[in-house]
Amino acid sequence: MHHFIGKIIFNFFFGPKKCKCSSCSKLTKSVAGISLFATGLLFSQDCNLTLKGKVVDLHDNTPLEGALISFVGMNENVLSNASGEFLIKNQCEGKLSLKISHVSCEDYLTEFDLKKSSSKKFFMEHHIESLEEIIVSENKLKDLSTTANSYSLSQLEKDRYSSGNLATALGSISGVSNLSTGNSVAKPVIHGMYGSRVGIVYDGVVLENQQWGLDHAPNVDLNAFDNIRLIKGAGLLKYTGDTPGGVIVLESSTPKISDSLYGKTIINGMSNGRGYNLISSWIRSFNSGIFLKAQGTLKKNGDYSTPNYILSNTGNNEENFSVTIGRNKILKKLKINFTFYSQEIGILRSSHIGNVGDLLRAIQSNEPFVINPFSYEINFPKQFNKHYTSSIEYSVRNNSNGKWITKYNWQKNNRKEYDIRRGSDKYDPALDLTLDTHNLVSSYQWNKSNISYDLGLFSQFQDNYSNPDTGIKRLIPDYVKVRLGSFFTTSYSIFNNLDFNFGFRFEHINNLVQKYYRFSRWNNENYEVDLGPYVIKETLSQKLVKRRLIFNNPSFNFGIKSKIIPSHEISFNFFYTQRAPDIAEMFSDGLHHAIASIEYGNPFLKSERTNKFVINFEKNEGDFQYNFNPYLTKGKNYIVIEPAGVEQTIRGAFPVWEYRSISSSLKGFDIDLSYKFNKNITYKNNTSWIEGVDENTKTPIVNIPPLITNSQLQFSISKWKSFFGSIISKYVFNQNQFPDNNFYTTIIENGSKVEKLVDISTPPNGYHDLGIDLNWGPYKLFSNKISFSLTFDNILNANYRNYLNRMRFYNDELGRNIMIQIKINH
Amino acid sequence: MLKNLYKHSILIISVFLLAISCDKGEPAVVHEHEVFTRVVLEVKKDGETNFKKYTFEVEGHDDHGHDDHGDDDHGDDDHGDDDHGDEHTEVELDTNSTYHVSIFFYNDSDPDNIEDVTLEIIEEADVHQVFYEMTEIPGFSIAAASDDTKDSNGNPLFLKTSWTTASETSGDVKAYLIHEATSKTGSTRADFGGATDVEIEFEVHIE
Repeated sequence: MHHFIGKIIFNFFFGPKKCKCSSCSKLTKSVAGISLFATGLLFSQDCNLTLKGKVVDLHDNTPLEGALISFVGMNENVLSNASGEFLIKNQCEGKLSLKISHVSCEDYLTEFDLKKSSSKKFFMEHHIESLEEIIVSENKLKDLSTTANSYSLSQLEKDRYSSGNLATALGSISGVSNLSTGNSVAKPVIHGMYGSRVGIVYDGVVLENQQWGLDHAPNVDLNAFDNIRLIKGAGLLKYTGDTPGGVIVLESSTPKISDSLYGKTIINGMSNGRGYNLISSWIRSFNSGIFLKAQGTLKKNGDYSTPNYILSNTGNNEENFSVTIGRNKILKKLKINFTFYSQEIGILRSSHIGNVGDLLRAIQSNEPFVINPFSYEINFPKQFNKHYTSSIEYSVRNNSNGKWITKYNWQKNNRKEYDIRRGSDKYDPALDLTLDTHNLVSSYQWNKSNISYDLGLFSQFQDNYSNPDTGIKRLIPDYVKVRLGSFFTTSYSIFNNLDFNFGFRFEHINNLVQKYYRFSRWNNENYEVDLGPYVIKETLSQKLVKRRLIFNNPSFNFGIKSKIIPSHEISFNFFYTQRAPDIAEMFSDGLHHAIASIEYGNPFLKSERTNKFVINFEKNEGDFQYNFNPYLTKGKNYIVIEPAGVEQTIRGAFPVWEYRSISSSLKGFDIDLSYKFNKNITYKNNTSWIEGVDENTKTPIVNIPPLITNSQLQFSISKWKSFFGSIISKYVFNQNQFPDNNFYTTIIENGSKVEKLVDISTPPNGYHDLGIDLNWGPYKLFSNKISFSLTFDNILNANYRNYLNRMRFYNDELGRNIMIQIKINH
Repeated sequence: MLKNLYKHSILIISVFLLAISCDKGEPAVVHEHEVFTRVVLEVKKDGETNFKKYTFEVEGHDDHGHDDHGDDDHGDDDHGDDDHGDEHTEVELDTNSTYHVSIFFYNDSDPDNIEDVTLEIIEEADVHQVFYEMTEIPGFSIAAASDDTKDSNGNPLFLKTSWTTASETSGDVKAYLIHEATSKTGSTRADFGGATDVEIEFEVHIE
């Protein structure tokens, strides 16, 4: 009976479990009386029970040290230790009322029935007081994986690259490079893989933006996110199971529950390209947990220049914004988000060529053919990309440490590529693709102190529309893709120094593709035999084929991580992935202007299977720290594009490239070192080496980054408290492992016909790039804080070309760039 | 509680799938614009009224002989010769004569609507240029004809040319249509810059 009354009284006062300390003090006192009363009545029962508790941050599951656990109404209290744990002994059976307090947290009052000795986890809503703490707490983010290493960009690194793009920002991480097309288009390459083999997850959903294209940069603004992290390998089966290269995770942090308005503004000015950026984000939050976040980025750059000449038509403009509205409660969270990304990128004027003869002349020439005075104007050729995202996320946490998250996300991507055309088509895009993707994910996470599970279902619907009004045959066909599946991941830790991780994901992919084949290609490839039954329409020169392609792909990973001796960790992770061929790999059909080649898909490709083994040796404490990370990736049905003959047209002879599957082997290592000489000087180095081989032919795989070593000397001066700087030296070696994809073309020279080698394979020489970063601040400015930085890229104005830049046939890399950055934290 | 949550999510996902499982319409045929599928040379001897017509087709490699230019050694053998056997054209000319030669460009990718792109080239004369490049052919020369189209700077486009022959000889000629040339005059293809829209090759036989 008294139990029942006690419960009612308790619920009455503590229904809303969360309340402000000041307004609670009275309640606490009155409840104290009741609790004492209750305890008194229960005196005759077992009083040798113990309660093992653990106090963790609700948002990121990190243990909270120094939390004060007090018995409501009594003077007894205990403090949680470094792992957030506390122990209460000699308790009687019955109700136990506790108040948990922690610096910068709201007091947490809880009451429960203690029937036997047990352990319990307590979640505290940790409130971050100032923006500096956000920076500090970055490292407190819950690890992406308990066994696979995740690498993150610090706030400072992220700001440094705020003027650039995601790939260039990630390029500072070992084992990550960029595959670029000019200066504004760059794709991240992780352990030698890129495009569809690297997943980009933004706010919990994979970015769908025609990622197959070599000259398609991710359509996402890194400035719209607070944390940028990555795992090298398919370590996040929660999000993707078909990205053996790695997964890049962009996240927004959850605003604090308090009445406040804060934000950050970055202003950048760059000498090379005479670019300027304005990036600003604001968060308004309320005590009720309601928050509103708005972020915007404006970027404008004119023609960039190499040390010796201007790169005409390489400017770019970017206009992005995002709005998020939501409500955070201890147990419930609702988030509605809308983002818009728009980018217009000029493509080097001289790279629009007609045929192989033009390519040969471009390679032979030291400079681009067209060099005009500097301009902000973007003419043809250019890309104009837009990406819209709308999403709604709802999560509920239950009392048994479970959390159910449901998320719907809609992405619409439009990509327009403009060439130099004539007549009435002059202003029409040559490529106009609209990709609509709907995602629905629902998952349930559950964790106890040493074990956690995550189980979910997902579905995706995707529609690609290739606008026929371009007047150019479709590079990729129209298709509808449905993806269904589920995932299960679990991690288990034995003590504090042995972690296991296992994940499984299954995807069912159903593509419905409608593609026109030209008779010439149809007959040459003898497609009638295999594709004949799927022809649904025939015109005078083309056949329309409607085919359904189904792929069932399981993926799994397994990892173990152990602390051999304190501060030394070793981990082993294995990733098995199955990736359905891209629509582009199966059906692409078109001419690439910049490399003068005809590209054909292979409609009979099978799912690519890769086994990746990653080992990590790490020491992450003390003055000397290191991380040594060797890996091996074995691929079956690994899809590559290779030259396959020459096609004669009245434009001249074109090399034909076709997709094919091979057995591949990629092996390499990444090393990260850092040594702190004293409190003012730290040296850091990261070095990456990789080798990729086609196992059948024993020839190297194309576009594999050469050996790169990146050194950084960070220094500060004791007298200048708010200054620090770094010297960054990047040495890129000559890549001598490359496939010979060269071919010959006949030209007329000095009155006779001669055969000329078109060398598209030989990588350029190695190079050294030196940069300096100088940072001042933060200084107080009214109620804000202001910091300045001065960044020099390629300070020596060195001339070099980059193997992983597709524009290397046409121009050198950028010359010196000086960037001034003003950063204001509001 | 957990069961309910799952019931809900399965329900939501099935409704979602139902909503999106509709089929997609048939894609429209793309009629390729501004591609060149046929180039015609009309060669008329001065003083005569008849002309000889030489046609170069985009995909004319299916049933013609193969005049190999060495590409075979570097290409992929799987594809056989059909892919890169040039259609070999011989232009027969008399010795010590002058010819009036016109070049025409067509797009016949839509057979119902064959497009004469030459007209467009004339309209946009400033950004187009035809250039004939040849091996050493003694006494043979190609110059702009008097009725040739000129751009706004007075440069002839070489759409209509005058060919002069001397003694018996033969040699190879390449004709280019260059888009947005960086220079409208020159003696080699490299001098013009720009992008090559058409590159055809033929042999002149002077006898």
